[in-house]
Amino acid sequence: MTAVPADRPTDQDIDPRPRLTRLVLTTTGLVVTRLLIIGVVLLAWELASGTLVPKFWVSSPSAIFARLVQWIADGSLWRHLEATLLAMGVGYVIGCLIGVATGLALGFMPFVQRILMPYLAGLYALPKIALAPLFIILFGIDIESKIALVAITVFFMLLYNTLDGVRDVDGDLVEALELMGATRREIGLKLLIPATLPWIFTGMRISVRYALTAAILGEVIGANRGIGYLIEASAGQYNTTGVYAGVLVLVICCVTLTELLTRAETSTRRGGP
Amino acid sequence: MPPRDAVMVADAPARDPRAAGVPKIELVGASKTFYVRGQEVTALQPVDLTVGDQEFVALVGPSGCGKSTTLNLVAGLLRPSRGEVLYDGVPVTALNRRVGYITQKDTLLPWRTAAANIGVALELQSRAVPRAEAQERVAQLIDLVGLRGFENHYPAELSGGMRKRVALARTLIYEPECLLMDEPFGALDAQLKLLMQDQLQQLVHQRRMTVLFVTHDLGEAIALADRVIVFSARPGRIRAVRDVALPRPRDVFKMRFTEGFGRLHEELWDELKDEVAKGVDV
Repeated sequence: MTAVPADRPTDQDIDPRPRLTRLVLTTTGLVVTRLLIIGVVLLAWELASGTLVPKFWVSSPSAIFARLVQWIADGSLWRHLEATLLAMGVGYVIGCLIGVATGLALGFMPFVQRILMPYLAGLYALPKIALAPLFIILFGIDIESKIALVAITVFFMLLYNTLDGVRDVDGDLVEALELMGATRREIGLKLLIPATLPWIFTGMRISVRYALTAAILGEVIGANRGIGYLIEASAGQYNTTGVYAGVLVLVICCVTLTELLTRAETSTRRGGP
Repeated sequence: MPPRDAVMVADAPARDPRAAGVPKIELVGASKTFYVRGQEVTALQPVDLTVGDQEFVALVGPSGCGKSTTLNLVAGLLRPSRGEVLYDGVPVTALNRRVGYITQKDTLLPWRTAAANIGVALELQSRAVPRAEAQERVAQLIDLVGLRGFENHYPAELSGGMRKRVALARTLIYEPECLLMDEPFGALDAQLKLLMQDQLQQLVHQRRMTVLFVTHDLGEAIALADRVIVFSARPGRIRAVRDVALPRPRDVFKMRFTEGFGRLHEELWDELKDEVAKGVDV
C-alpha cells in the first residue's frame, strides 16, 4: 500500500460537500437518517393524534401497532395474508401458462391471429377490475373469483408480450431456416421460442406487481378473506386503525416482492449469456 | 415474423436432369418489379440466364442492379413478375430447398454459439445425422473457415467477417448441390478473402457443386468463375457475358498476375465501368 503524502490532499479533503452531508451518505449514516425520519414522523403522528386531529381520522401509530400485534396473536393476519398470496400466486401461474401458450399458438398461426386480434384487443383494453363483480357471480365470494381476476390480468400481459416477441423475430432468420429445410415445428422450437423467451420473462416480471394489485382489488370489491378484505371491512366499520394496519401490511408485502424481484433479475442477468 | 407455409420443391423430377442435359438453373425472360409506396420499381429487367450443372457463374455489377434479386428468384424467396425461373427444368414455385443460400446479411441465431450455429442444419429432421458425426463435421467446418478458438463465442462477440464465415460454414455443412452466394467475402480483409476463395474453389470442385456467385469484386469473379456475367445499372439487365477459359485448378493467390487474367479483367472492366459510373450518378 502506498501512503498518501501528507502535503497532498486526499479524496476526502477535496470533497466540496459539507461534513454532515458526507456523514449521512455513508451506509450506516443512510440507515440512521432514514430511521430518524420515520421516527420523527411517527412521533409527530402520535402526538398530533387526538390533539391536533381527531383520533377517529388518523388513528395513531401505537394503536396501529397494537392492532397488528393483536392480528398476529389471534392468527387472523396469517389467514388473510395467506388468502391474498394464494389468490395472487395461483392466478399468476394460471395467467402465465395460458398467456404464453395462447401467445405462442397465435404467433404460429398468423391467420388465426388476424381473425381474433380485434376481440383480444378489445378485451385487453377493458380494465379488468370491471369484471370483478361478474367473477363474484360466476365463481363466488371465495378465493376462486380473485384467482380468476388475477389470472385474466396476467394472461393479457403475457399474451401481448409473447405476441410482440414472436412479431419481433427477424423474418430473414425464418427464411434462412426454411431454406435449410426446417419444418414449421422446427422453426418454432429452434427459432420462435428461444427468440421470444426474453419477452416472456419481461412479461412475467412486470405482471407480478399487477397480480398483487388485482388480488387486492378483487378482495376490496367482494371477499370474505384477504388483506384487501381486511382493509375494506375495517373501512366499512369506520375503523381507521384497521385500515392503516392493513395498508401497512400491504406496504411490507410490496417492498418484499420488489426486493425479491430485483434480486432475481440481477441473478438472471449475471447468469445470462 | 411468423413462419409461412412452405412446400418443398418437387424432389424427383420426371427425368434425370443431368442425363437429359437440362441446365441446373434457368431464367427465361424473368423480371421483377416491386411496388414501393404505390410506385412501380423495376429491380430486374427481363433476364435470360442459364447455369449448367456444376458450373460456377459469377454476377458482377453496380449496387442495386438486381443481382440479389436474381438469387432470391432462384431460391424461391421471390416470384418473377414475368417470365420463368427453372431449377432442374422445373419451375420454382416455392422455397427451393435444394440450394444453400448465403445472404448478404448474416442470419445467425444470436443465442447460439458459433459452433451451435454451424451445426443447426444437422439438427433438422430433413438433414439429421448422429450427434458424434455432427460434432465432427462442425469441427471440420470450423477449421475450414478458420474459426478455431471461437467455437463458443456468441455472434455478438464475433467481428463482421467472423460472423460471415460462420454463416458460410453453416451452409456448407449440409453440402447443398447448389450454392447461391451474395457477396460472401465482402466483409473480409484482403488476405482472408483470398484464403476463403481458395477454400471455396476446392470445396466446390470436390463436392461437385453448382454456384451462382454475386460479387462487386471483378477480380474475385474472374478468379473463381467459369463464366462472368456483367449486369447494367438499375434497372438491371445483362450487359456482357464472358467465359473464363483459365485452366483449373487455379491459384487464386497468383493468378491475378497472369496475362490471361489481366486481359479478361481489362475487357470486363470496360463493360463494368460505365455501369458503375451510372450507379454512382443515381
